[in-house]
Amino acid sequence: MDDLLDRALNAAQLAGASYADVRVVEARSQIIEVKNRKVATLQEPSSAGVGIRVLIDGAWGFAASADLELEEVERCARLACRVARASARVRREPIRLSRLEPYRARWETPLARDPFSVSLADKIALLVEATGVMEREPKVRVAQGGLHFWEERKRFASTEGARIEQRIVHSGAGISAWAAGETDLQVRSYPNSFGGQYESAGYELVERLDLAGHAAETAATAAALLEAPLCPAGTTTVILDGSQVSLQVHESCGHPAELDRALGHEANFAGTSFLTPDQLGTLRYGSQVVNLVADATSARGLGTFGFDDEGVPAQKVDLVREGRFVGYLTSRETAPLVGLESNGTMRAEAWSHIPLIRMTNINLEPGAWKLEDLIADTDEGIYMETNRSWSIDDRRYNFQFGTEVGREIKRGKRGRLLRNCTYTGITPEFWNRCDGVCDASDWEIWGTPTWGKGQPSQVMRTAQGAAAARFRDVQVGVGYGT
Amino acid sequence: MTGGDGAPLETAAGTAESLSPREARQILEEALAMSAAEHTEVLLESRNASLTRFANNQIHQNVAARDHELVLRAIVGRRAGQASTNRLDSTALRQVADRALALARLSPEDPELPEPGAPAEAPSLDAFDPATAASAPEERAAAVAPLCGDSAARGLDASGAYEVRAVSLAYANSLGRFAHHSGTYAHFTCTVRTESSSGWVDRHRRDLRELDIERLGRIGIEKAERSRDPQGIEPGRYTVVLEPSAVAELVGFLVYLGLGAQAEQEGRSFLSGRMGQRITGERTVLADDPFHPGAMGTPFDHEGTPRRRVVLIENGIARAVVHDRRTARKAGVESTGHASPPPATEGPLPYSLVLGGGDSSVEEMIASTNRGILVTRFWYCRVVDPKQTLITGMTRDGTFLIEGGHVSRGLRNLRFNESVLDVLTRADAYGRVAEPTVFDFGHYAVVTPALRVPEFRFTGVSPF
Repeated sequence: MDDLLDRALNAAQLAGASYADVRVVEARSQIIEVKNRKVATLQEPSSAGVGIRVLIDGAWGFAASADLELEEVERCARLACRVARASARVRREPIRLSRLEPYRARWETPLARDPFSVSLADKIALLVEATGVMEREPKVRVAQGGLHFWEERKRFASTEGARIEQRIVHSGAGISAWAAGETDLQVRSYPNSFGGQYESAGYELVERLDLAGHAAETAATAAALLEAPLCPAGTTTVILDGSQVSLQVHESCGHPAELDRALGHEANFAGTSFLTPDQLGTLRYGSQVVNLVADATSARGLGTFGFDDEGVPAQKVDLVREGRFVGYLTSRETAPLVGLESNGTMRAEAWSHIPLIRMTNINLEPGAWKLEDLIADTDEGIYMETNRSWSIDDRRYNFQFGTEVGREIKRGKRGRLLRNCTYTGITPEFWNRCDGVCDASDWEIWGTPTWGKGQPSQVMRTAQGAAAARFRDVQVGVGYGT
Repeated sequence: MTGGDGAPLETAAGTAESLSPREARQILEEALAMSAAEHTEVLLESRNASLTRFANNQIHQNVAARDHELVLRAIVGRRAGQASTNRLDSTALRQVADRALALARLSPEDPELPEPGAPAEAPSLDAFDPATAASAPEERAAAVAPLCGDSAARGLDASGAYEVRAVSLAYANSLGRFAHHSGTYAHFTCTVRTESSSGWVDRHRRDLRELDIERLGRIGIEKAERSRDPQGIEPGRYTVVLEPSAVAELVGFLVYLGLGAQAEQEGRSFLSGRMGQRITGERTVLADDPFHPGAMGTPFDHEGTPRRRVVLIENGIARAVVHDRRTARKAGVESTGHASPPPATEGPLPYSLVLGGGDSSVEEMIASTNRGILVTRFWYCRVVDPKQTLITGMTRDGTFLIEGGHVSRGLRNLRFNESVLDVLTRADAYGRVAEPTVFDFGHYAVVTPALRVPEFRFTGVSPF
């Protein structure tokens, strides 16, 4: 393998590259989905290939191939150089990379139990049992459960002398129950929507979740939602559970804090950002209780790794400190444009794609409240749990989210179940109305595997750590109405 | 080129094109021979893709990638297992065949598992353009350079992407069914920004020569300059003129909300229990038509079944959903050729949706509107209520106020909450020109005209 990496870098340099890096990635995954006790999907995809990125005349070129023969890898390096020369014909400023110590290192996701070593029969049996329990609820039309496991072996080398090997393993599991009425469809998921919970972890995640043990309650809630009153329209206090806060963090802090977006690199697709560089260090993003970090070293996070796909070591950096916007997610190319150095957030979906700035683990730091105390302290409002719908504008200002479940709060107590809950707001106004974040006992690092960005579009697995939080004067019930 | 049965040529970019029928058949037959299963199906997708991306008036990302995916499905009795690889050598084919068989043997019995289809002749579909497959990075750079230069000279920022792909899809099974198809795809999209506004244009074609990038760039510039200093407007109900891309964003949601038989059979579809009933206005004709020139279709599906044109909504009446072999078996009908790519968790889906047009132009729709809003595109649309086809999303990159039959000024972006079926019920003018929009990483296309819709419900406004 070293020979292949060397040949790729050598071919790129001979073809004129002033900088080159090469990633050889072997990936495999296992997808098991069971619907109403029958296996709906049983699949084991695998993929391997090489991606070569070069700088010539201050412009990028990239080429990738599934063929790992030496001649093909060299052809790929030369093609990347040709692509870079074409890029250089339409450039204004040459790209400069931030300084980086070239690392020679190995890193692996810590696992208690390798998910690929667990018998398939056991995995299927677990999902058959859980969906069987949910099916007992008569109003549940579809009871489904899934297990997903990914393994990625990456080798990275650069002309600066870096040589990094990583083995990254992600696991995911979850169940959901769909209850259908004449004119309504309700879903309840455990432990989260988007297929469940996903972590940098092994099969210990699946064992900890106890899917079958939560199946009956999941199904009963889905059925109860069909009979629940609609979320009222108006302005009220909202307490979001940790999983919904994590989505709020992802969409309204994680994305706008991506420096490539702020610099306009995603203007045609993912969009730009209201967090413009002139506001760094000054903008009041949220209230004093809002502290957000990007932490690629968090235990169990899907954004946890040893090194990013530029060879930059994993880091923990502040994005929002006591409500003030203080940091970006950066790369070697973008950081120098605002006087910074890369904080290591570049990841590619696969060998066939270039790395982009992607969220690592974007964590809202725990506050001081116990959840029950926070509810008891709320005279009137709605407690909303588990994301069902999410939409936000291309600068990340105007959002509307919906949740699977709502609970009325009256005089400090949970009340009636509410269906089709939605809330909307403008990001900095919303976070400035946050007056309570729950403590570490309610905090979880929620992982989601399906976030898109870039052209060609890339899907990435990221995490957001969060606990339940309270927001005042929120507009709710906006989906319906006259 | 691979339209015939010859060996692939080297393209100008130095990458071989998608696999020829002869090469594909050879690989698929080798994979079938490796399998010890009772029945075996093999699907091979080969893709050469290049994309030149620009932002702030310069090329900032520029990529070329070549990949394959071979998916092998082994069937033993009523048990099935599936494995895939992107390596096509004999060792890899052996490994994938063995793994799929092992998975099948471990899988529980599935009484509803359909057998693979018998040999069937798929209609041919001329979808491969050699010049598009041969697109070179230098040509793409030359094509976007004038737009970047013009934007810079005007003090604007141009961003976008110019993308080309050559793809081949081949299917074979142990009953002797074989099908092969080659296609090309060219896509140009750009966003031009002023300090206070933006304009956008987006076109999808089989043949890159049909992309007039200079003219498209001018549309982006014109929209951006015309919407400078946008004003806020109170949320409420307005007559809207939706350009084809905006219509496609809405109509495209029907694909996942229940135009496939699996969702309908599970009771999750907006069509469940409503077949034969009126669900939209009588001018609505919605079909899945893989043979429509703009629909980027393939002549067979991922089970090798020849595709059929299926009328889904006919003059406002719910008529049909699309099927694969599994849902067809359950419904007692024939597959319509709409099996999804693996893992196909959503079941069969319509991949070439075509909404019938009318006799209006966008200009005529604007001229006949006293007060309303012109929408270039919607963005980040998501489902609020699946049975009601209720969607929320934002306007983006060119939202304008219409006053007295004329576009008067740019507007700040607005949030909407609307039912797609209600929009199709209220639409009172249909455009005569239909444009394709390709979604979901190129997996499906929606061909739509512009629409004028009274009483469209806006619920919020952005600060920009």
